[in-house]
Amino acid sequence: MSAEIAAHAEVLRTDARALAACAERLRAIEAELKAGGGAPDWLHASVTAHLAACAVAAADLETAARRLSRYADTATP
Amino acid sequence: MTGRDDPDPERLRAAARELVDVALTIQDAAAHATAALTDGALLRALPRAPSAARPAYRALLRATTNGQGLGCAFTGGGRLSTAAGKAGAMLGAESLAVRVLATSLRLRVAAVAVAHPELTGDPMLARLIDAAAADRDLEAVRALRALLKDRGAVRALSQLAPVFGEVLALRALLDENPLNDAAAWLIATGKGFATADPITGMSNRAIAVLDTGEGAARRVELTAAESARLCTRGSLLGFLGNISTLGTTGRALIQSVEGPDGVIRHVLQAPGMRAGRPDGESPQDLLGAFSSAVLASSPYSRALAEAVADYGLPPGAELALVGHSAGGAAIMNLAQDADFCARHTVTHAVAVGSPVDFKRPADPRTWVASVTNQHDIIPTLDGQGAGTCFDLHPDWYVVDYGDATHLFPLCHGIEHYLANLADDLPEAREHIDGRLTPFRGRVVRSQAYLLFDRPPDPEGFPFLTVPTRAVDGPEGSVELPIRCRDGDALTAYFAAHPAVAAGLLEGTGLGPAVRVAGRALVAVHAARNRHTTAGGYGELQVGVVVPGPSRRRSRSPVWPDLLRAADLRRSGSFLVGSAVDATTVRALGPRLWGGETYLTSLDVRLGARSAHVSADLILTLRGRLGPGLPLNDPGLVGYAREAGAVLRSCVRTRGRARLHAAPSLRLAVAPRSAHPLADRLRELGLDGARPLLCLSATTRQALRDAAVPVPPG
Repeated sequence: MSAEIAAHAEVLRTDARALAACAERLRAIEAELKAGGGAPDWLHASVTAHLAACAVAAADLETAARRLSRYADTATP
Repeated sequence: MTGRDDPDPERLRAAARELVDVALTIQDAAAHATAALTDGALLRALPRAPSAARPAYRALLRATTNGQGLGCAFTGGGRLSTAAGKAGAMLGAESLAVRVLATSLRLRVAAVAVAHPELTGDPMLARLIDAAAADRDLEAVRALRALLKDRGAVRALSQLAPVFGEVLALRALLDENPLNDAAAWLIATGKGFATADPITGMSNRAIAVLDTGEGAARRVELTAAESARLCTRGSLLGFLGNISTLGTTGRALIQSVEGPDGVIRHVLQAPGMRAGRPDGESPQDLLGAFSSAVLASSPYSRALAEAVADYGLPPGAELALVGHSAGGAAIMNLAQDADFCARHTVTHAVAVGSPVDFKRPADPRTWVASVTNQHDIIPTLDGQGAGTCFDLHPDWYVVDYGDATHLFPLCHGIEHYLANLADDLPEAREHIDGRLTPFRGRVVRSQAYLLFDRPPDPEGFPFLTVPTRAVDGPEGSVELPIRCRDGDALTAYFAAHPAVAAGLLEGTGLGPAVRVAGRALVAVHAARNRHTTAGGYGELQVGVVVPGPSRRRSRSPVWPDLLRAADLRRSGSFLVGSAVDATTVRALGPRLWGGETYLTSLDVRLGARSAHVSADLILTLRGRLGPGLPLNDPGLVGYAREAGAVLRSCVRTRGRARLHAAPSLRLAVAPRSAHPLADRLRELGLDGARPLLCLSATTRQALRDAAVPVPPG
């Protein structure tokens, strides 16, 4: 049972890292469009909002992963 | 939606694609968090570690609901999470994945706007697109209403067509209706056919399953004019020209061509949907178009398969498929049918103006070309239009072009695609023609098929399925009864001179005439029997209406009897003259209804509200019929006096008729004509007369047998 909880924790930890990577990808997308001179005016505000949300979501998932790990350890018979 | 410099649409599309990947990654994370939150294992461990469980649950809840992070991210999992996700959507709490996907869609719109500057240059279109993208529902509705009011629905949709899928998906992702989210997700990610209407969320498949039937095809002959217009050599324009010639009439065509190498190959050509309401008979209706696009197999594609089976392709023969609109989706369904492809070698599939983005040929060797006008809405019905950022078919030859005609449905018409391919897209035409080289030769056989949702009843069944016998006619034997499977008829009732009518009836035993306000009732009956077992012919009969031959006076009034079914009716018209326009039928006249039958040219044209009858040297009867009361066609009863006996003739009919109580037709006897029937009409006082009422019937079936002597009473 606790192994299942631990597995969830591991997946969420991986997801947190993936979201952090998403933030980097979003930055790269905007930078590339800017460099090409074809970035729509509204893009910067959107990407900035997504970046912030990705950072918060990564932190939330990291926290959830940490607490799930502790729950798994405590629940081990 | 405006850019600072000239943006590169491909760069924008690449960015949109990248954002889809990001959105999918975020969506996966949300699904994992939801799965952890709803996993029973966590709940079962609760008694052993309640103090550790609470913070874990709190953290998971925060991760899946934090508006600053993943947003309302309940997704995947069981019913609970689905319900929670939908509740979130209804409250307008979008997930981060949805917001990123919306940004991807806005980039797709921006990419299309590079080639279609009117999308951002036109203030009304820009207002709508911006409102949809900014999740301002009320503003989007107002913008759409203003656009519809200013441009009308057709122009508004035509102008939006290049970004139709994107705008719908944006609205669906960001609105509060949770039912359309899945469709919007599919459009935005290019993962599959939009499974639901992106506006209402109503399942496309639920609508498509209304189109039922195993599909059937029957050989039909084209008219001489149509046959003359068919291409005599295979080519892209030739095949599309054939589709134009067939029109949206429920038909398809198969041709055999002798290729440059002397090999006979075959081409199936499928037109688009027929306009109007679904009819439950032809697969080329609106439902057929829908099901062909949405489903892998539809009555339309199954009917086409039937046609191919009937045509009789030799084993291993090569087959090319060419379709327009719904026909393109239907031929792609054939191309992706593994059984069909096992029976036939499908080498080419060319879809023009068709929603085929999610079709996949069963045989990877099948070469596929798709030609779409970016202002044509029909190809975008699968959710992928000009703005798509996915290369769904790197191995297909895709021509997605724009032209000056932005008006739908004009830009969807086969004639418009033909003109574009002939004049504006020479490279595309030459490329497709190049690939069709094995089919570019002399046409050696053409066969048209009428397509059905399900096998039709045998012709005329059951009404015209009656015992028959052969009788001698001037041009060989003729079968009686004459069976008419398609005809029009008009019976006009006039008030005539009673003394003249009485004179005509004198000594017949059929009098007195039925009277109206002291005048005699006379019926002028004209019919155009388009398709009968004796050939097509027109007929005209003039008769005095009589209660019947019985000497006993019936107590029941005559008027209701006039509308009784012919085989049960006593009353009828004592014929004072008949005319037809076919020698065969004229020769049969004495046998069919008795009395003299004249031969003359007849023109009978009957519309819903007007009629035009002209009989050379006899009469014209034309004018407006006025509103009509629907009823079953009662048929016709005629009486004649021959060799001292009364003959009763009867036309039994099947079909709907209309009783016109206030017709404004006028009968004019042919001026200065000495024709006996013209004289008779003048004597009755009908020259210049208006009918009291009329009975019209279009598309009726009729059985006309020989007249029989009435036994003496």
